Amino acid sequence: MFKFFSSSNIYSLIQKLINFIDSIFFLILIIGLTFALVLSPPDYTQGDSVRIMYVHVPAAWLGLACFSVITLLSVLNFIFKIRNFYFINKSIAPIGLLFTCLAIITGSLWGQPTWGTWWAWDARLTSMLVLMLFYIFYILAFKLLSGEEIIVKVSSIIAIIGSINLPIIKYSVEWWTTLHQPASIKIVGPSNIHSAMLLPLLVMLLVFLLYGALIFLMKYKTEIIRIKKKNLKKI
Amino acid sequence: MITEFIAMNGYGLYVWLSFSIVILSCAVLYLKTRKTLRKYENDFLVDLQNLPLEDKNKVLETSKVAQQILATNSKVN
Repeated sequence: MFKFFSSSNIYSLIQKLINFIDSIFFLILIIGLTFALVLSPPDYTQGDSVRIMYVHVPAAWLGLACFSVITLLSVLNFIFKIRNFYFINKSIAPIGLLFTCLAIITGSLWGQPTWGTWWAWDARLTSMLVLMLFYIFYILAFKLLSGEEIIVKVSSIIAIIGSINLPIIKYSVEWWTTLHQPASIKIVGPSNIHSAMLLPLLVMLLVFLLYGALIFLMKYKTEIIRIKKKNLKKI
Repeated sequence: MITEFIAMNGYGLYVWLSFSIVILSCAVLYLKTRKTLRKYENDFLVDLQNLPLEDKNKVLETSKVAQQILATNSKVN
């Protein structure tokens, strides 16, 4: 079982997964874009601007999901000292930052025609901006500090403090009066989004997931090579 | 019909700009990540080539990762 998790087995598995994602990604991307830009109907109040939702919502979800994973692995790494989690977190963070930035930018482009403003200091928008700052601090910890132990400590602290912001983002639209609309899709309970819009949203979510997985695998592969390169120098 | 599709009932600027920014920034991160990966693969191979023949053979015999990097690089070249 443990032999399966050796770097050589993980490396060959990563290569297979990259090849698999490469082979299906563009097909799913084209299907997603066709649904999002052509086939899905305009909203009865927001008109065609609702199409921005198909990139804004998956980006925001994955921005939050990446930070949740980083927090969980940081806590586990802090307690159990599992070195692989350090490399996984290092590989996930840039993807989370990109998705969070995209959620903010596309949200702003959605806000202008819908609310009449690019930006408002309301709870949801501000808490997303705070998440972006935590991602930047987290990545800077890897870039600026030296020594794996100190990086693990500082980055874990940043992740744990930053995780306090995650429920604030999720429930901000319920706790405070915000410009941002409440969640249309609920994990528990009925969602108030029509299937003609839900399907394109789910396809675009799959596109974002595959893209995120592809970047993660490439970055993780780079980390494995980096370790192997260090080992070569020791010979 | 195409003009209507591009105009998106007056929301075209916002919709197309959103999708363009997403696609462009994702493409930039993908290309940057791929470039870094290739650089590390090449650097690894250079370091491997610089090893004495005995050590080089030992690494290639014992490390599956080294074998795979070498195989990938041969395919690319």
